[in-house]
Amino acid sequence: MTSKRLLNALEYPEVDSFNIKDDTSFRKIVVWLEKNKIKRAPYPLEPINSPEWRKTYEKYKKFLGCPENITNDEESLQWLAGYAVQEEYSKKKDVLKKHVAEETATKNIPDIKTENPLDTLDFYGNDFTDGINKVAKLLNITPHPNPTITLKAVKHIVTNRLTQHALKNPDKYITKGTPFPLQDADLGFDLSDPVLKQAAKILRMLYIQDLRHLQTKANELIVAVQNITANPKTDTRLGKVGF
Amino acid sequence: MVVRQYNEELKYLEKLTPYSWRIKKGFQPNMNVEGIFYVNQTLEKLMLDELRNACRPGMVGGFLPGVKQIANVAALPGIVGKSVGLPDVHSGYGFAIGNMAAFDVNDPKSIVSPGGVGFDINCGVRLLRTNLFLEDVLPVKEQLAQSLFDHIPVGVGSKGIIPMNAKDLEEALEMGMDWSLREGYIWAEDKEHCEEYGRMLNADPSKVSVRAKKRGLPQLGTLGAGNHYAEIQVVEEIYDKWAACKMGIEEKGQICVMIHSGSRGFGHQVATDALVQMEKAMKRDNIETNDRQLACARIHSTEGQDYLKSMAAAANFAWVNRSSMTFLSRQAFAKQFNMAPDDLDMHVIYDVSHNIAKIEEHIVDGKQKTLLVHRKGSTRAFPPHHPLIPVDYQLTGQPVLIGGTMGTCSYVLTGTEQGMLETFGSTCHGAGRALSRAKSRRNLDYMQVLRKMEGMGISIRVASPKLVMEEAPESYKNVTDVVNTCHAAGISKKCIKLKPIAVIKG
Repeated sequence: MTSKRLLNALEYPEVDSFNIKDDTSFRKIVVWLEKNKIKRAPYPLEPINSPEWRKTYEKYKKFLGCPENITNDEESLQWLAGYAVQEEYSKKKDVLKKHVAEETATKNIPDIKTENPLDTLDFYGNDFTDGINKVAKLLNITPHPNPTITLKAVKHIVTNRLTQHALKNPDKYITKGTPFPLQDADLGFDLSDPVLKQAAKILRMLYIQDLRHLQTKANELIVAVQNITANPKTDTRLGKVGF
Repeated sequence: MVVRQYNEELKYLEKLTPYSWRIKKGFQPNMNVEGIFYVNQTLEKLMLDELRNACRPGMVGGFLPGVKQIANVAALPGIVGKSVGLPDVHSGYGFAIGNMAAFDVNDPKSIVSPGGVGFDINCGVRLLRTNLFLEDVLPVKEQLAQSLFDHIPVGVGSKGIIPMNAKDLEEALEMGMDWSLREGYIWAEDKEHCEEYGRMLNADPSKVSVRAKKRGLPQLGTLGAGNHYAEIQVVEEIYDKWAACKMGIEEKGQICVMIHSGSRGFGHQVATDALVQMEKAMKRDNIETNDRQLACARIHSTEGQDYLKSMAAAANFAWVNRSSMTFLSRQAFAKQFNMAPDDLDMHVIYDVSHNIAKIEEHIVDGKQKTLLVHRKGSTRAFPPHHPLIPVDYQLTGQPVLIGGTMGTCSYVLTGTEQGMLETFGSTCHGAGRALSRAKSRRNLDYMQVLRKMEGMGISIRVASPKLVMEEAPESYKNVTDVVNTCHAAGISKKCIKLKPIAVIKG
């Protein structure tokens, strides 16, 4: 039962013995929730055996904003307990968050005792530079003066083109098409510096490629929906050629 | 209209470049801005002859000459920049066909005019490519033409073969091509390659009269009559190899399908209804124009807004209409070649509207402004990198589809930066009439016209052969002149030339 779990979380002392069908027990819980957790009532809900109790309780529910379609005790108790949990949470939010963060942090730290050789590697040393340039040469990549950038390029090629799937279906990964005369392309604006202009053109191309991917995805989405909605019909009997 | 001698009139016109003329203020009364029109030598003669004829004593009735109409538009409240006449300009109702004009949305006096959109709202052209070549099609050309004719209902009073009820129509008016997508008539990529993604978001079917809906319902998915057609075309020339390649056109001889159609009786009724409303609004708001046919209302008035919402619904109607015909053309080809349309690579290259008013951002005198751009017989031609064109054409500029007249060639152009600056990203739309419909009927014989088509190796299927003279190439300006002028003036760039091998007409 949800209410029971909520009350348990709120540490209601008589959680094991309460009986929702019992009116006194129900009134007791409501009073306990208000006194210890919600603390909003503008007027007391006690004594619980007062003949006016139900009336006061309805007013109280309305005051807290309980939806009007909740009328039976079981549902309203669940709503009240939920409300109390919310109150509790917002009060202790920071503490709880920190707790969760600590919990996950401790779980994620890998239990490594040996030293990671990559940590001590000199990324700008000759050894590393030579090594990475050799790999680049194997993959037909022009090395960059900064070896870490060359490494990035190597990573890009390996993860995009040399995966098992890519090797098996090269057509899917290697874009085909007629080479584009970049030199003749109109950039759309003017830059006096030729180097800058070249760079701007390349950025243009990359942007257009991004757009193409986006459009392809949009088209795929449309086709997926079409598979559900499409039902083209023709009826030649309707046709009429004019005079 | 001011009555002046032809020589007097000429004083108000000034040749700016070999391809453009300025219309100075004073040519017509109350001009707020100047006019400009683009012509080459041949078209210039047609343009000025028209003016000369109108200046002859005793010439009354009919439309005003195109130059005069451009100048009258320049006198409308709220117009910015220039009133622009494209090379295919010819007289029409109020606005000349081939006239574009932009109005500042933030100027409370600015107007919207149904005459500036035209009666066939969102009339436009769609081009489908195939991976077939001339040699694949020639042996079955007649069968294919017949198959297209059987699939696409044509002619005045034709009825569509896609079952629609009133509820479907309401949804289609609101959703445009999204409706066709949802129902599965078209492909997701079709939407991607269509102006406005095939849907005007401000469409409100509740602003459309019952009469318009009644006229529109049975006509959805029909080609109509007049200058509308479906053609099987073959690539004759490629001027810009790279741009053509982006459109999936690799070589000469490749087969394409062009569909030129609009919103049929629906759009016509929407425009007619709006004109009645606007006459009242003009009286109330004291809007004065040089020509009664330039009926208009302030953009922010109820009448203006209602028109824009119902026009958007008509635009959506036209897109659904062209989409339905795309579906039917794909079926016709699939049946003929016993292959799926997918395998025939029947993708939409692009879909343009050449009768429409749209809210766009433009730079006017160095400042960004929100404008209501009227394009009547004028096609949007946005330059490369414009955010409103599909990603595939970001580097080439927007494809501009120029439908020729029956039996002549058609062109694909691309938008340019210069066009964006000079003509608010607009260019020509087709050949443009040289002879009036009545004059064509008097001067030409339909049997001759049909025989000439056959002589050119064009299979032709017509629903009403007796109206064919109206659409004969002789009745129109030469589309090549028109396109070359746009190319030379720099307002758009030639990309592909197409030649018809089969024509379906109303």
